[in-house]
Amino acid sequence: MIEVKGVTKTYGKKQNAFIALDDINFVIPDGASVAIVGKSGSGKSTLMHAMSGLDRPEKGQVVIDGIDILKLRQKAVDRFRSEKIGFIFQSFFVQANESSYDNVALPLEIGNLSGRARKKRVIEALQVVGIEEKEKQKARNLSGGQKQRLAIARAIVNRPKIIFADEPTGNLDSTTGATIEKLLFGLNKKSGSTLVIVTHDEDLAAKCDMRIYIKDGKIDQIVSEVK
Amino acid sequence: MKTVDIIRRAGRSLKHAKARTILTSLAIAVGAFTLTIALAAGEGARQYANTLLTSNIDPQVLAIAKDKSFFEGGKTGPQEYSADSSTIARGNGVLVKRLSQSDIDAIAKRSDIVSVTPTYAINAQYITRVGQKKYTVDATTYDSGVTQTVIAGSLPSLRTSIADDQIALPEAYVSLLGFNNAKDAIGQTVTIHLERTPNVTESQIQQAIAENSPQAIASLATKQTKDAEYKIVAIVGKSATALTATTNAQISNTSAKALSDFTTTGTDNYQQYTIATASVKAGVDPATVKQALVNEGYGVQTAKDLQSLLFTIVNTLQGIVIGFGILALITSVFGIINTQYISVLERTREIGLMKALGMRGRHVSRLFQFEAAWIGFLGGVIGSIVAVIAGLSLNPWITSTLSLGDGNVLLIFQPIPIILLIIVLMLIAMLAGYFPARKAAKLDPIEALRTE
Repeated sequence: MIEVKGVTKTYGKKQNAFIALDDINFVIPDGASVAIVGKSGSGKSTLMHAMSGLDRPEKGQVVIDGIDILKLRQKAVDRFRSEKIGFIFQSFFVQANESSYDNVALPLEIGNLSGRARKKRVIEALQVVGIEEKEKQKARNLSGGQKQRLAIARAIVNRPKIIFADEPTGNLDSTTGATIEKLLFGLNKKSGSTLVIVTHDEDLAAKCDMRIYIKDGKIDQIVSEVK
Repeated sequence: MKTVDIIRRAGRSLKHAKARTILTSLAIAVGAFTLTIALAAGEGARQYANTLLTSNIDPQVLAIAKDKSFFEGGKTGPQEYSADSSTIARGNGVLVKRLSQSDIDAIAKRSDIVSVTPTYAINAQYITRVGQKKYTVDATTYDSGVTQTVIAGSLPSLRTSIADDQIALPEAYVSLLGFNNAKDAIGQTVTIHLERTPNVTESQIQQAIAENSPQAIASLATKQTKDAEYKIVAIVGKSATALTATTNAQISNTSAKALSDFTTTGTDNYQQYTIATASVKAGVDPATVKQALVNEGYGVQTAKDLQSLLFTIVNTLQGIVIGFGILALITSVFGIINTQYISVLERTREIGLMKALGMRGRHVSRLFQFEAAWIGFLGGVIGSIVAVIAGLSLNPWITSTLSLGDGNVLLIFQPIPIILLIIVLMLIAMLAGYFPARKAAKLDPIEALRTE
């Protein structure tokens, strides 16, 4: 369960202060698929950063499994991200010079998993996203869709509780985008992990169990189909 | 994140920027090359100096002078005049106190000294043998503490002198004195001719005048001569590691004293010696004897002192070369800093991603420092390998050019200093990589990952 309570984030100081997030409150149940929907500049990315422990809003709480991650020390936040969070980005952010295998191995290296267990998990993750035959290829030689599959493999390899996807289909054509969406929702249902998609794409948002609309740093509307 | 994984990732990212990596490490390689050569040359020079000393100088031997200023090059500048000119030798603005016979006798009486041999001044006119021309010659005391290269005949074992009627001649005299070869000369007799200006006392002159004998007066004015005959016991050659060139005819201590006394009789130089060598009893540390003699006011140098003097020279020269190596290293440090800064800028997103995935700032910093260490390692290995290859292939040429003698090489490469050098270079490179690494560690992942 993710509880966001009174999260407020301000950029700049005094007269120039810009309120990016203004008293955000909501609860996401475990295993749900959630879309955070808003125009660019609405604060949806900032909200994702706050929820994933990348950013520290000055006010509020983000309680994940009973722990307020905003109160954790940096070291503990780093470990929290490494163990419980998976990230998928619009521009993939795969390491072009590294092989697919080494790209996917990175979170496990950070998480101190080594040896046979690491290898097994990497191969499994590559199989789940269907690019196991590209294991030894450099990431730069993959197509856009394959790169995003690789990024998904990297996001799921450490078996996270929550996967954050920032415009995951934004850089893909509609056909490829559709398969990636299918893959993401399939994983969400199968593994029981929570999927948080940040998007401005209404069609993608419509496929989620819950939609949080953000406008000018405030919650505009929350639509939930979760029982 | 495990260090092993960080090192592997660091190695891989260097591999992906091959040209940059190699160029940066070449800068370190220049320093590594210079330092490897300096270390090898220093070691070689020290070993060579050691070879020289051990083959030339008996470790039990002391060099003794009247006071310590002798070993500091004598007293320079104006000194207070002393009428007792016999104890002082002056020349070229340098003043040296001399040892008298009583000094020699006093030192010889010590229980820890086996023998004392002053350096005798022998002004021999010429050397010759029956039916041959006369040749100039320098006669010196046979040094029983030095191993010499014997071409023909034989010399007694170390610390034993030749007999009083024997002479050891350098190779050059073999043909000059009309011998077919060195072997023929052994056992043959040669003559050393000495002269001294007459030394006339007042009473002798008065007696000659009283006798009114022109012959007596003439004989007083005639130069006095002495012909000393010796049997050739050995012909000695020149060795590459000999410090003292054996161009002197060598005679026994007693003979040398007799000849020296003859030529100096009646002069200020009579039984005055600038320096003496003493042989310390076996089992006694020359340093303790030295201290005892120094306390008595003498200037004393042991074989070890001479060694440390030579080593000081070698170390100074080595220090200069090392200085240049360090300069090259300092230059390369800026190269590393620059390269790593660019690398951090280029890989902003990669760093952001790693941090987003939960990699600790400390580990990000380490990643870049290990990259720098790899560069240092590569530079060190390249530099030292090139230095070893170049040194080993140049060694024969250096040996023959400097005529160091067979078996002696100037550049001696030892694995441990080279390994230490590479480790030090890696540490220096890591230090250089510290600032860029810190920049990487401090990167805000949100900023780094912001999509434009």
